[in-house]
Amino acid sequence: SRFTQQELPAWKPILTPGWVIAVFVLIGITFIPIGLASLFASERVVEIVDRYDDGCFFLNTNQSLLLDYIRNPKSNKTCTRSLTSPLFSVLSNLTTFIFQVPKKMRSPIYIYYQLGNFYQNHRRYVKSRSDKQLRSRKGEDEIKDCQPIARSGEKPIVPCGLIAWSLFNDTYAFSSKNKALTVDKKDIAWKSDKEHKFGSDVYPKNFQSDGLIGGGKLNHSIPLSEQEDLMVWMRTAALPTFRKLYGKITVDLEANEAITVVIQNNYNTYEFGGEKKLVLSTTSWIGGKNNFLGIAYLCVGGICLFLAINFILMYIFRP
Amino acid sequence: MSNTLFDLATSCRVVLCCRVAPLQKAGIVDLIKSRTDDMTLAIGDGANDVSMIQMADVGVGICGQEGRQAVMASDFAMGQFRFLKRLLLVHGHWNYQRVGYLVLYNFYRNAVFVLMLFWYILFTAFSTTSALTDWSIPTIVVGILDKDLSDKTLLKYSKLYGAGHRHESYNMYLFWIMMIDTLWQSLVLFYIPVFTYSESTMDIWSMGSLWTIAVVVLVNVHLAMDIQRWVSFTHIAIWGSIIITYACVVVLDSIPYFPNYGTIYHLAKFPTYWLSILLITVLALLPRFIFKVIRQTFWPSDIQIAREAEILRKRRSPTRSW
Repeated sequence: SRFTQQELPAWKPILTPGWVIAVFVLIGITFIPIGLASLFASERVVEIVDRYDDGCFFLNTNQSLLLDYIRNPKSNKTCTRSLTSPLFSVLSNLTTFIFQVPKKMRSPIYIYYQLGNFYQNHRRYVKSRSDKQLRSRKGEDEIKDCQPIARSGEKPIVPCGLIAWSLFNDTYAFSSKNKALTVDKKDIAWKSDKEHKFGSDVYPKNFQSDGLIGGGKLNHSIPLSEQEDLMVWMRTAALPTFRKLYGKITVDLEANEAITVVIQNNYNTYEFGGEKKLVLSTTSWIGGKNNFLGIAYLCVGGICLFLAINFILMYIFRP
Repeated sequence: MSNTLFDLATSCRVVLCCRVAPLQKAGIVDLIKSRTDDMTLAIGDGANDVSMIQMADVGVGICGQEGRQAVMASDFAMGQFRFLKRLLLVHGHWNYQRVGYLVLYNFYRNAVFVLMLFWYILFTAFSTTSALTDWSIPTIVVGILDKDLSDKTLLKYSKLYGAGHRHESYNMYLFWIMMIDTLWQSLVLFYIPVFTYSESTMDIWSMGSLWTIAVVVLVNVHLAMDIQRWVSFTHIAIWGSIIITYACVVVLDSIPYFPNYGTIYHLAKFPTYWLSILLITVLALLPRFIFKVIRQTFWPSDIQIAREAEILRKRRSPTRSW
């Protein structure tokens, strides 16, 4: 048969000059507009980034005093920061940076907390959870991967594991012109997490109740499927510098509007030299502010067009 | 004595031995085989040729008037002596080309995958986190790709009728060039998502999913760039692999019991995801493409010249059969 005799009809491409030039030109003319569009979309995103872990304390104080302070659950960790004009810095007992709302920000404005030098992607950390336990009450005792945060005395901890134990617990309260801005904390987690990964019959038990406290506490009377901060936190980040969604502001912010944010600076990143930043950002079709794709596409498109021109010249002068 | 015979024999173009006993026939083959690195081929049709056929690296038996003993002892069996020419020049050539390329390609495919995981380790505080789900998406993909590759061994590469000379399609130079290209591709594969998603809410499973798909697409397009003869099966194999991988990812991400649950649905909504994959594929293969074009323009190999001559000749007179 034609198949076994390998005589099927076939397309046999050759890399002719026409093909080569066509490929480069095609890549060039598709990539450059994509690059421009991406860059444009990224530039349209308005972003305010405020690093506050160093601003909320003077970092050159005695390190052990600082650590005592942050570890003490009773110390006052309120920190007030103003996001106003960036032209000068004012030294007060709490703030050093001041920002401005640079351009008008249209709602919804997303509030993120950004952590730096925090390896949520460390192998032992990533493993330290029990999805079976999170999903339903029947899996309460499936805590084998969660060591050392698995049991409190004899009883299992729900949710167990290092990821839940290190829950981020800084809070932010925003106000502008002396009026509070409401932060919408609903629907910040993935819908698939809320519906299937975290059970509605699972309640926190024995959480952060003894031994070392690694992070935030959970309300024991709310089921896990409604604990959105926990869900967001447990979606382990891929890289050591990452953001997580805290909430949304549903009103527009005008340009040059002065925003004051009161931070409860609870989370202890000082032990390991981590950074904490507060980010307010609008979004576009490309996501948050990231010029990389735009620039990369422009570069590749440009290189290809350059090569196409070179090849055309080469074939004209040396057929 | 045998040394003298060997020196004499190798300085002649053709050597005729007559009145040779079966064991002596084997002895002659052994003479060459044990003193050089050359491949030896023995062809025979009778029972007295069996020891010679078995001694040689490649044994060819003719089934015919003297019975089938030679055939039973041989690696290849034919009906007539004249088929030997086709066996060597056509099938031997094809086989060499295919196997040489496949070995290089398999090194590349495994290495690009492993290297990409290796770069990730640098970002996870040197713990050996795997961003790819343990649940064997890679092995399923490899299983599918492997099967397709064995179909591809049916591909006709090029026909060099009459040329008959050996071209090296697997050597150290090619190997190291392939490895450097692999290094580049793995770096592109790893770093583009990292830069695209730095300081974002990207989680580890989504990143792993992106890397998996990108690897599959890249590796297949790489192969597609080298295929010299596209038959319908080739299309099915290459594009099919990509589609099947996507299907697997969708299926696995729909099962709540896996850590990847919901990932692809979430990712695919964002154009950034698709743009990253496109960028990775083009940028990773760009140096290879340029290298290939330059080499073919300035230093074309004989095989390539012959192939182009054939195809262009066929295109001008389409009545000729292939």
